[in-house]
Amino acid sequence: MFKLVTFRRFTAVLGGVVAAVLVAVVVFFVIYAWPAIRLNGWHFFTSNTWNTGNLYANPIERNGRMILPGAHYGILFLIAGTLLSTLIAVVLAVPIGAMAAVFLAECVPAQLRTAVSFFVELLAAIPSVVFGLWGYVVVIPFLGHHVYPWMTAHLGFLPFFSGAPGSGYGLLTAGLVLALMIVPLITATVRDALVSQYRGLRDAALALGATRFETLWTVQLPATRRVLVGSGILATGRALGETMAVLMISGNALNYLPRNIYSPISTMASFIVSQLDSALQDPTGLAVRSLGEVALALLLIAVVVNGAARLLLYYQDRTTGTTT
Amino acid sequence: MFPSRSDRSHRLRRAPLAALLAAALAVPLLWAAPTVNILETGSSLLYPLFNIWLPAYHRVHPNVRITTQSTGSGTGISQSTTGLAQIGASDAYMSPALERKYPGMLNIPLAISMQMVNYNLPGLNRRHLHLSGPVLAGIYSGHIVQWNDAAIRRLNPGVQLPDHAIIPVHRTDGSGDTFIFTQYLSFSTPSWANSVAYGTTVSWPAVSGGLGAEGNPGMVTAVHDNPYSIAYIGTSYENAIRRNGLGIAALKNRAGKFVLPTARTAKAAASKMVPKTPKNERISLIFAPGADSYPIINYEYAIVNRRQPSAQTAAALRDFFNWAISPTGGNAPRFINRVHFVPLPPPVVRLSRAQIAQIQ
Amino acid sequence: MAAASASSFVSPRQRHRLRRRLTDGLGWTVSTVAFLLLGAATVSIFWAIAARGAHALDLAIFTQVTQGTAGGLLNAIEGTLLLAAGGLLLAIPPGVAAGIFLAEFGASRFAPVLRFMSDVLVGLPSIVVGYFVYIVAVVDLGWGFSALAGAIALAIISLPYITRTSEMAFRQVPADMRDAARALGATDSHVILRICLPIAASNVLTGVLLALAISVGETAPLLYTAGWSNYMWNGHLTHEPVGYLTYAIWAFITEPFQSAHALAYAAALLVSAFVLVISIASRMLMAASRRPGR
Repeated sequence: MFKLVTFRRFTAVLGGVVAAVLVAVVVFFVIYAWPAIRLNGWHFFTSNTWNTGNLYANPIERNGRMILPGAHYGILFLIAGTLLSTLIAVVLAVPIGAMAAVFLAECVPAQLRTAVSFFVELLAAIPSVVFGLWGYVVVIPFLGHHVYPWMTAHLGFLPFFSGAPGSGYGLLTAGLVLALMIVPLITATVRDALVSQYRGLRDAALALGATRFETLWTVQLPATRRVLVGSGILATGRALGETMAVLMISGNALNYLPRNIYSPISTMASFIVSQLDSALQDPTGLAVRSLGEVALALLLIAVVVNGAARLLLYYQDRTTGTTT
Repeated sequence: MFPSRSDRSHRLRRAPLAALLAAALAVPLLWAAPTVNILETGSSLLYPLFNIWLPAYHRVHPNVRITTQSTGSGTGISQSTTGLAQIGASDAYMSPALERKYPGMLNIPLAISMQMVNYNLPGLNRRHLHLSGPVLAGIYSGHIVQWNDAAIRRLNPGVQLPDHAIIPVHRTDGSGDTFIFTQYLSFSTPSWANSVAYGTTVSWPAVSGGLGAEGNPGMVTAVHDNPYSIAYIGTSYENAIRRNGLGIAALKNRAGKFVLPTARTAKAAASKMVPKTPKNERISLIFAPGADSYPIINYEYAIVNRRQPSAQTAAALRDFFNWAISPTGGNAPRFINRVHFVPLPPPVVRLSRAQIAQIQ
Repeated sequence: MAAASASSFVSPRQRHRLRRRLTDGLGWTVSTVAFLLLGAATVSIFWAIAARGAHALDLAIFTQVTQGTAGGLLNAIEGTLLLAAGGLLLAIPPGVAAGIFLAEFGASRFAPVLRFMSDVLVGLPSIVVGYFVYIVAVVDLGWGFSALAGAIALAIISLPYITRTSEMAFRQVPADMRDAARALGATDSHVILRICLPIAASNVLTGVLLALAISVGETAPLLYTAGWSNYMWNGHLTHEPVGYLTYAIWAFITEPFQSAHALAYAAALLVSAFVLVISIASRMLMAASRRPGR
């Protein structure tokens, strides 16, 4: 039989694997990308050219390292594509998700709530690649042929809404599909917060003569603010790292910034998938190390965003068990 | 069933589960005949040919299991050099620098292929537009942005070109098609050679509205879905191009003539270039001289390591390649014609056989 | 709302009440519409997949292996199950142990750190995990594309989900059960493994099901770890690539061949159906475990 301390240590060590994996991944990428970090410098984040150099020329020396002539690594267009698509997704998902949560918490009888909520939460279970497939065969033709031409014609006076509507592949499409992928997170969290809220406040507001919606808008929803923000940040984290769906619908732009919301984009995560295997062709190894630097940047953004969200949510409530 | 309150039933429930799992793991082990697993990855241009080769080959050699993947020539080169794949399919030979880094790699031509330049111009797809290297270089570098640009009109007198922006589509994956296309641009247009040059991935000049596509299939879809787009697509997708009603351009060759990609023009170009093929068979066939020569033809390579982990694998590879390049095997018209390739001429077959014999 | 035309005859007070009522109605309408929008999207996705997938499903899908861009998906179905099972096998021990540690020894100084890191791990983009395993195991250790590399990638992705649900599961075990057992002289390991685990098991299982659903639907990390194979698995843990359904969706939908599209839709239908079944099962499990509980 185990002694108390031994069993405790046993679970700590075995469970510690979870923490060790995170540390290992971060440390690995720092070491792996280090040669690229030193060579690329800050230009990596501010310039707009991802150029592996002339693969069929002879490597030349720069700063004591062999590189291909013309090699230059800048990922501003990836950062822009990642942040803008995430921004669109979050701006759409937070209000829609919160309002859908209101519907589920206030308009649906408690016995039916789990079943009805399932409709929204099922979105969270759909794999990214299936979203990509749906986007590819359903959303893109629809938006590209019907919605975007209409939008340029009628909403063209708004900034970023004018210009060539393109084919449906691009920033807005990616943002819309990402919004659907992250919305269940927000709906589930806010709905749980509304349902488990202290009822006294609500009853007091109603007793003062507020209508049900006024109560909700001025008393109940503000009380969930921290949960809303926390789940919003978590959703941001998920959108930033989404890969397959974005790869299939974003148009995979290279080396330019989006001009309008219909413009093709690339994101950091989808770029890694599309470039990783051919990056190993660079005999100097700089291409794959620079791609490692992209992964490191994405990793650090994910760690910071998720860390912030978790701290916020811990602070709010240590016991509400929202699985995310 | 859940939750169980008794730890005894709990344990009992585990036992059959574990047995089942063990059985599931063991069954494939029992099946395991002395099979050879071979992974082929790379060129999406070769992919359709491999896919019609394999059922025929597998029927005769059931113990050789070859998996095919359409990932792009860049992947074919990198995964064969790193040893992840036994056959790297590529429309491009390895770069000199990689050749030095991995001296054990062979570049074995399996067939000759060509590349089309395709476009989607509503109303004009039946006409074979005339295009030249410098004009294509202008389009892909963003100097020529409209379909009715003077440079395009000059090559196509009498054609009503639309006043619409051109959407150039390029490959996002490391691609042999990108390699041979940019070689055509480099060999025909000095300014392209001095700026972008050629390679399986190049730094495409930023062209507003330009799209990236993955693999030849992605290119076909992109051109089909985007009116006014233009792309370079391997000839093994010619049937798909015709089915989708897309345009095929006549390209300006070294002699200044505009020629269409056909078996005749490909053979004409091959007849000029094949005698120059060196022993290691690493040579560009692009922009061949001759009035009838189609300017973008190339060897379709299998990139293979001389040293294989086992004699069994080496033997299987040798046998497969020898079958593939044989005029009565994989290079027979019933395979080659279906993908619009050109069979290897006899001198090249001899060179390839000599290389195949080196796989040990 | 129909009273709008009469607004000039009503007093300011009534007008105020009317406006409040209108805002009220508008608010509920907006929230209903928001819900319907999301519900419609869900239905659209499942309908798109089901309608196209049903056309593509035939016996060959379940009995034949993939031949290039035609044939069936038997190799992919086997591979998906193999990878998911392998991933769970690797992830359950450390995941559940971490959950036990967090729930039972939460006072430890290490606990908040572990919980935080586990929660951050959830947010790790799956392609980053795939990249890590690709370079370390597939290339540097020389395993090649293999079932083991794929399973490790899936295990890393599943770990935090299992950890979190396990912690919740053990927390929900009533404290009196533990106290009673301890009072009878049971050791800690006995209390946790023999008393708490059976009670928490069904909730732990919901986490395992969640991880299973994620594993079955995962694509990006597998592209670089499991590779792809047209054939059935031969039993090698390394040096033998395996197929999986999500690869068929991603790789075959862009091929310009009908047979390839059929495979992609069939694979999408199988994956979606599987995920749907798992989701419903875990809901039912959760509902069932709640009833006799508190």
